[in-house]
Amino acid sequence: MGDLLKPDLGLTVWTIVTFLLLVGILKTFAWGPLLKAVDEREARLKADREGAEKARAEAERIQKELEAQMAGVQAQSRELLAAATKDGEALRARLPAEAAADAAAIKAKTTLELAAEKDKLVGDLRREVASLSVLAAEKLLHKSVDAGVQKTVLDGFFKDLESTKKAGSN
Amino acid sequence: MNFESILAHHVVDHKTSSHVVAVVGGLPIDLGFSPLIRTMWIACVVVIVALTFAARSESSLARAMRSFFEPLALFVRDQVLEPIFGHHAGHYLPYFLTLFFFLLTCNLLGLVPSMKGVMANPWVTAGMATCTFGLIQYAGIREQGFGSYVVHIVPGGVPAVLWPLLFVIEVFGMFAKCISLCIRLFANMLAGHVVSLAFICMIFIFSEMSKLAGAGMIVPSLGLALFIYAMDVLVSFLQAYIFTFLTALFVGGAVHPH
Repeated sequence: MGDLLKPDLGLTVWTIVTFLLLVGILKTFAWGPLLKAVDEREARLKADREGAEKARAEAERIQKELEAQMAGVQAQSRELLAAATKDGEALRARLPAEAAADAAAIKAKTTLELAAEKDKLVGDLRREVASLSVLAAEKLLHKSVDAGVQKTVLDGFFKDLESTKKAGSN
Repeated sequence: MNFESILAHHVVDHKTSSHVVAVVGGLPIDLGFSPLIRTMWIACVVVIVALTFAARSESSLARAMRSFFEPLALFVRDQVLEPIFGHHAGHYLPYFLTLFFFLLTCNLLGLVPSMKGVMANPWVTAGMATCTFGLIQYAGIREQGFGSYVVHIVPGGVPAVLWPLLFVIEVFGMFAKCISLCIRLFANMLAGHVVSLAFICMIFIFSEMSKLAGAGMIVPSLGLALFIYAMDVLVSFLQAYIFTFLTALFVGGAVHPH
């Protein structure tokens, strides 16, 4: 075993030379491309990670904006709903009164129209009755009465009738 | 049987040729070829081919290999170098990655029959520790400048009287760190081989006492040897990591003196 510890500087020199040559060779042919590929992959991963983080931040920002918009829309819809409810309630409170007023107005108008129609019909009827009476009288008298006499007689008749009616209503 | 001679035969490197280029302090620098150098070069070829193929090819096999190498490389970068060097890690990364994969491949190749345990030789690990020592000086001078580096070898706040003494101690400490790296790796990688061989030799030791006892020892000895062999796989990874981590720690100490 003493031979193992016997100085062998040649072996030491060979070791140093071999190792340093190996460092140079591997640096050129292996570590350069290998570490470059590793660096590129790490850079790509870093870029991907940063991109993903950026996209996530963007997504979060958009989500917050949407949530804010949604909250605004909800508040707006609540306000609209409240306003519509209020309007509805007001309308519901107002409608019966308006309907009653309209009905009353229609009733009054109809009453007036009916009264006017009645008056007109009465007038027509009177005229017809008078005409028939005159015709009957004419036939009774076997004498024709001209139109001027007829009008005079009728006007006198109506005047009497009006005065009779007023006296009756009083 | 002579256990020591068997062990020496397996772990000691025997030169197959001799080529002395210089003599330093009476010690010859013999660059002759040996089985250990062959194993080391095979490890280099394996590392170069495997890593270059994994890094450059787009085949499915290369992708599968990348998926094995990349986590290890990222582990060295993120867990070992980044905490120590910070943003300087990229500059030293190729050295440390090569260091880790070279040590790992040498350690694992040493477990293959007919290959030598490269890191189970102290003069190999001394070479690796010398590289670490050189890197400590290079990184310290590069990051701080020569003057600042030499000044900061001694921690700040030391009284001026003690400064020379502490400077000597710190320089010795720097050497001691590298020597400890050398011995730790060598001893750990040698231990597995020694223990495995010891378990297998138990068969022959017992068979010299009794053939029956020897036969009875075959199963337990081989079982234990296989267990140690499996442990050696774990130790190979562990020692490659420890050497790389401690080197990074020592170099980091020179880069950041405070």
